[in-house]
Formats: sequence, structure tokens, C-alpha cells
Amino acid sequence: MTPNPKLPKSFTERKAPPRAFDPRSFKLNRRQVLWGGGAALAGMLSYPVVRDWFRPHAKVFIARNQTYEGSLERTISDGLVAAGIELRSLAGKRVLLKPNLVEPNRQIPHMTTHPAMIVAAAEVFRRWGAEVNVGEGPGHMRDTEQALVESGVQEQLDAASISFSDLNYEEVVWMPNRGAASKLAGFYFPRSVVEADLLVSMPKLKTHHWVGFTAALKNLYGVIPGIKYGWPKNVLHHAGIPETVFDINASLPKTVAIVDGITCMEGDGPIMGSPKQMGLVVVGTCPTAVDATIARIMGLEPTAVSYLQLAADTLGPVASRRIDQLGERWEEVASPFQILDVPHLQQLRRPPGALVS
Amino acid sequence: MDSSETIVAWLTGQTAWAYHGDSPMASEPAALTALALMAHRQSGSSALDWLTDLQGADGSVGVMLGQPTPAWTTAQAVLAWALADRHAGNKSLRYFASAARGTDWLLGARGEPLERIETTGHDSTLIGWPWVEGTHSWIEPTAWSVLALKAIGMSQHARTREAVRLLVDRLLPDGGCNFGNTFVLGQQLLPHLQASGVCLLALAGERIDDPRIGRTCDYVERQLNRRTATASLCFGLLGLAAHERRFAMAGPLLAAAGERMLVRDRSAYKLSLVALAARAEDRPLTTPPPERSR
Repeated sequence: MTPNPKLPKSFTERKAPPRAFDPRSFKLNRRQVLWGGGAALAGMLSYPVVRDWFRPHAKVFIARNQTYEGSLERTISDGLVAAGIELRSLAGKRVLLKPNLVEPNRQIPHMTTHPAMIVAAAEVFRRWGAEVNVGEGPGHMRDTEQALVESGVQEQLDAASISFSDLNYEEVVWMPNRGAASKLAGFYFPRSVVEADLLVSMPKLKTHHWVGFTAALKNLYGVIPGIKYGWPKNVLHHAGIPETVFDINASLPKTVAIVDGITCMEGDGPIMGSPKQMGLVVVGTCPTAVDATIARIMGLEPTAVSYLQLAADTLGPVASRRIDQLGERWEEVASPFQILDVPHLQQLRRPPGALVS
Repeated sequence: MDSSETIVAWLTGQTAWAYHGDSPMASEPAALTALALMAHRQSGSSALDWLTDLQGADGSVGVMLGQPTPAWTTAQAVLAWALADRHAGNKSLRYFASAARGTDWLLGARGEPLERIETTGHDSTLIGWPWVEGTHSWIEPTAWSVLALKAIGMSQHARTREAVRLLVDRLLPDGGCNFGNTFVLGQQLLPHLQASGVCLLALAGERIDDPRIGRTCDYVERQLNRRTATASLCFGLLGLAAHERRFAMAGPLLAAAGERMLVRDRSAYKLSLVALAARAEDRPLTTPPPERSR
């Protein structure tokens, strides 16, 4: 969709400078410096493989054979530790879990993050002393309470005494757009999002009929308040979907991902697709690397996905050689998802046999 | 005191109107509170006056305190002001100026038409109202604007007529409506109870021979027989009543919803909807309320 020049000034004024990848944030250790050496290092950096060795890596944890009735707390805890989260440091911190409840429907439970995943993640963070809250601003439903009823999440939150924030109607806080891929100068975020010490993106692994697939990065559309952006959050669409997916994530840096990849959605996602059983839980501290890994699992080429193109080397690594695989290897669990037979999606298909990108 | 009276008493004592107990004061809960109190023959002047104070120089009413944009809530404010003056009788003009300025703003606001493309099913060239200036027209802001313009006496205005055509165009073939689309990439979308109820409200009194309207009432009735949340329940009941359809279980469902809200989430938005739905057969959003007893 073409960005619309008619958006109100309140959304487009006060343009923030773009935040590109800052090489100063990457520090060479002593051994690397000694091993390299000035001129030799400069020459070697002209080779992509060597250059990638010096770039930051990210860890992505994959667990297979998972079920909603199984030991999800253990899996999620193991995943967080493996991905590098120091759980003890979360004591007293505010953790906001953001599931995907975009348009819940009792007949389509594979559209939304399963309640068992949400409760399990909450218990993990609570066990380590964090103050846990669940928040969502459903993108296609004005009645958030109805979204909780349809998804079955309300009953589970009540049973586990977990609080919920309706992100569509909270007090909002303006924050500058640190991505600047779109023309939006900033975002109105709900207060509970801004005040969270850690935001946990908890998407359902699904295809998406406009951008290919939706997981950790796209899920954060749901932190944008409907009262300011509408139902659907049409301001974002008019500003460009890939660009705003990137911008939102660039503006919310304290984010980790716990992905419900157990019963997934293929075909006409993110709403009307068919269930696909995968039995996966994917965890990572870098949502970009998590999404790149998920794309590969789904049989999509991550470097062809528009918002991952923007995120690559800015928000995190997309190249597989810079993503440290923990738990299962993605190649072992990959199973191509059906996608609609339309050109803008078929071009995302990963070439058969391609295992590295 | 039954639950409806308890709710009205609670609403009467409110001086802050919000979507949830802990969220900021907002225009829609204020407008709905005023409408609910008027439906129960009480004064809604506190909320109405607050909306007047919130109104911008351009006539718009922003969504919440400190947020003058977007201003899709101008429609609810105009509806409340217009019905308040009618409710007061004796040719009251107390809110006339606010309603007139709000109406001017509404008539200047319009959704962005989009070129018709095969991937979406609705007529994207029809113009209604958007949630946010500069974006497309969607069902709820269009429906609320139609209700406001009808209340102000502009049911035959060209904008109202086109908006009614838009609402009918967005009805799903089997009844009900999604938040705005009908088909995307050849796939029919899901109907939603709240959007369907609001759409039915705006289409009340229209002489349109389209089977989808009856099917929408049927869809709403089916949904009301399942577990529903408060706002969806209330808009469903209000929409049905506007088309002279009664739902037998309305009383117990509203009583349960009201009690739940009073305990769980003291939301002026939801409690005012419960109070409005309790008077659904009086059509509190589509016709002038009865004269106040003196």
C-alpha cells in the first residue's frame, strides 16, 4: 500500500533522525584484535564470511514435540536461559507479555496465541520474582473483553490471577520513531508498554496474506492503541506495513520473543488460514533472528521478506551463519507452509534444497 | 434496587468517564454516559458539559483528555448533544452551538477512497468516515456519524445517504459485518457482534430491501445465545431493538453483565452501555427520548 501523504500532523511531525546500526556497539575482545591486526583486518573484512564473523550474533532456541498440555514452563524457562536471559535479574522487574489476539474466534483457535503458552510464560517470569502483566490491543476487534472471551484467555488469566491491560484504551505516551523507515515521526504507545522493563512478544506462528508471515516482529502491531490508530490500525497501513513493523520494533528495544509454534496457521493467514501442527516453541532475545529462523522453518526466504530486509543488520541478524541455533536445528524441524498462490507471496518461497541464506 | 437502578445511580455520581476504571477520561464513555442517563430520564449534563469543554476550536472532540486527535468521537458527542436538547424539550438550545460546530467538523471529515481492486470485496470508492483523518472509511465511525447526522436532522444529507450505502455495501452475504472489509483475496471475512450491532443501529428506519439486513439481525441473535462480552452484548441488543427484534434473554444477560462490571471493572463505557441496552426498546440512540416527566 502506498504511504498516504494525508495522515494528520500529530502522527508525522517531529521527525526523528534515523538510527542505523552502530558499529561502536560491537566491541572486539583482546584476542580478536591481536589475531586480526590493522591492515590485514581491513583486507579480510572485504570477504562476507569474515565480515559476518565480526558482526553480532544472536541465539535462537527451538524446542520440538511440544503440546499445550505438556511442560511448557520448563521449555520456556530452558529457552530463555539458553538464549541468554539472566532470569535472576528479573526480580522486581515489570514484564509485559504480549500475545497475539488480533481477532479471536472460537472456531479458529489456531489464529491466536494459546492460553497455556501465556500462563506458562507468566509463571516462569513470576517464579523469578518479576511483576507480570499481559497486554494486548486487538487490531480487528473494538471489544477487547470479547477477544479475551473468544480466545479462552480470560478464563485462564482469572484462574492464574494474572492481570491484563487493554492496550487499545490506555493512557498513551509519545515516543520518537527510532527506525524512521516510515514517515511517522513517532508512536503513541500505551503506558504499560513504555513502563515495562521487558516486553515479551508472544506471537502465534502464522502465514500472513500481505507480508508472508507474522511472528515476533509483526505481533507488536498489537501494542499500538486502537483509540489513536483505529480498528484496523489503518494509520500504520497507510504509512507502509513493512516500514511500520520495523519502526515499532526499532522503537521498543527491550523485547524478547516466545513463539507459539505448536498448532500454527498456514494458507490464508493471519485470520482465515488452516491449522498446521508443528509442535514447536521458539525463544530468543533478538526478535529479528527469531523471525528469520521461523521464516526458514516455514519454507520462506527471510531475505525476501520486506520487514526482515529492513531489520537485517539494524535490529539483528538475519543471515543463518550469524544465528546460533540452540535446542533443535531449524533444518530438522522445517516443514513448508502453504501460502496463497499470489505473486507477492510466491516470490517469498525458499528455493528447494536451500539451507543457508 | 435492581442492577439497572444501581448502574444508573453509579453513572449519575460519576465525574470522570473512562473505558476502564484506571484509564484516562475519554469522550466516548462520557457521551454514552450522558445518553444512558437521558434514556433513564436523568440529567447527563455533567458529561455533556465536559464534552463541550473538550471541544476544539474546529468543532472536533478528541478521543480523550489531552489527545485532541483523532476525533472520531465527535460523532458520539454530537449525537449526545442533539438528543439532550430534544430531551430537554421547550426548544432547548443549550447544546445547539456545540452540536452545530461538531456537525460542521463531521461534514468536513471524510474517509479516503481507494481505487477498486480485485483483492478487496467492498466498494472502496464510497466515502464514509475514518477512525483517523487521512485513512479509509470504516464501519463504526461511519455508523456513529450517520446516527449523529440523523439526530441533528440531516438524515437526507448527501453524506448521510452515501454513508448508508457504504454500510449496506459492507454487510457480509450471510449477514453481520466485519470491522470493515467483506472479502480479501477472495476469502469472506468473519462477522463481529459489536460492529454488526452498531451498523444495525445506523440502518434503523432505512427503507432498504436487502436480505442481508435481516440476516444480520439473525446473526446477532445467534451470537447473543452464546457467551458474549459486555459491549458486544449491548450493541447487539441495541441493534436488534432498532429493527424491532426482541431478545428474550436480554434482561438476565444484562443483569449479569452489569453485576460483573460493577465488581470487576468499573467502566463508565461498559456500564453506560448496559444502561442503554436496558432501554433498548425505547431506541435511545435512534429516536428522541420521551419527554421528561415533571
